[in-house]
Amino acid sequence: MTAVRRWLAFLLLVPVVAGALFVGAGGGDGPPSPAARAARLSADVRCPTCEGLSAAESATPAAAAVRQEIRRRVDAGESDAEIRAFLVSRYGKDIVLTPEGTGVAALVWVLPVVAVVLGAGGLAFAFRRRRASGTAAATAEDRRLVEQALRQGVTR
Amino acid sequence: MTATTAPANAPAAGGTPGPRRGHPARWAAIAVGVVVAVFVVILATRPQASDVVAPSPLVDRPAPEIEGPGLDGATVRLSDLRGRWVVVNFFATWCVPCLREHPELVRFSERHPAEDVQVLAVVYDDQPEDVARFFRERGGGWPVVDDVGAKVDFGVRGVPESFLVDPAGIVRTRLVGGVTADGLDGLLGQVGAGG
Repeated sequence: MTAVRRWLAFLLLVPVVAGALFVGAGGGDGPPSPAARAARLSADVRCPTCEGLSAAESATPAAAAVRQEIRRRVDAGESDAEIRAFLVSRYGKDIVLTPEGTGVAALVWVLPVVAVVLGAGGLAFAFRRRRASGTAAATAEDRRLVEQALRQGVTR
Repeated sequence: MTATTAPANAPAAGGTPGPRRGHPARWAAIAVGVVVAVFVVILATRPQASDVVAPSPLVDRPAPEIEGPGLDGATVRLSDLRGRWVVVNFFATWCVPCLREHPELVRFSERHPAEDVQVLAVVYDDQPEDVARFFRERGGGWPVVDDVGAKVDFGVRGVPESFLVDPAGIVRTRLVGGVTADGLDGLLGQVGAGG
C-alpha cells in the first residue's frame, strides 16, 4: 500500500470516528424530563456523608436531602449550573464529582488527551526510526557462504 | 592426605576476634520501636475529636434562615434570635456523639443568659416524639426546630455539627463532631463575644 493510500485511509477514518463520538455524546431523544435531570444531577454530586458514593447512589439522610433539594430546584426551573452553584455554595467545591473545566482542575481533562497524543507521537517516532534503520545489506562474504551452502545441498 | 589449613580470615588461636558484623535485625527493631513510640505520643497528645473547627463556604456569610415547628408546635426562626450569639446545633437522638455532647450543651447554656448566647437545636432526620422524649429525659431548655431543608442550606454532612452565628447573623465558625462547653467558651472568646 503506498504512503498516499495509507494516509487517505487514516483521513477517511477521522470523520467516521468523529461522527460516532457525536452520536454517542448526544441524547437524540429530546430534552430530559425533570426526573431525569434531577437523577443526572444527583449522580454528578457527591454524597455529603460517604464521599465514595454519589448522592444518587447513597441511602444516607444527607444524600436524600440533597436529592430532594435538587428535585425541588429542578421543578422551580433552575438551570443545572445554578443548582450546582448552590450546592457548592453550601458544601464546597468537592461536592461536585465532575471536576471543573477551569483552573488547576482543568488538568484532569487535559492531561489524558495530552498523554494519548504524546504516546501516539512517541510510537510513530519509534516506528519511523526502526524503518529508517533499514535492513542489513548482504556482503560478498555472505553471498559466498550462501553459494557454498547451496552447492553442498545440491551435491547431497 | 593433605593437611587442612584454617581459612585465611579466621582469627589465630588465642588472638583477637575478626571484624564485628552489623545486626540489621536489631536496628530494624529499634527503628520500628521508635516509630511506634512517636505514633503513640502523637495520638495521646492530639486534641479530642470534639470542638473541631472545619471549613465551610458559609463562614463570614449570612446564615441561611431556619424556620420550622418547635417542640410545642410554635414556629421557631433563626432570624428571631438576631442580636445574640447563636450555636446552631444539628443533632439526632439516634446519634451517639450527640448524646455525649448534650450534657456539654446543657452546661454551656447554663453558663450564659439566653439574651446573650442561645443554643438552637435543629432536628436532623428524626421523629418529633423521639426528640420530645429526649429533651424531657435529658433536659436542655433551648429552642428546638424541625426544618428539613436546613441541613442542605447549611451544608451539613452529618451529625453532630454546629455553627456559631454572631449577633449580626453571620456564620463565624463551623464545628464538626461533638462540642464541649469549654470549647464553645473558648471559641466565643476568640471571636470577641466576651462573657
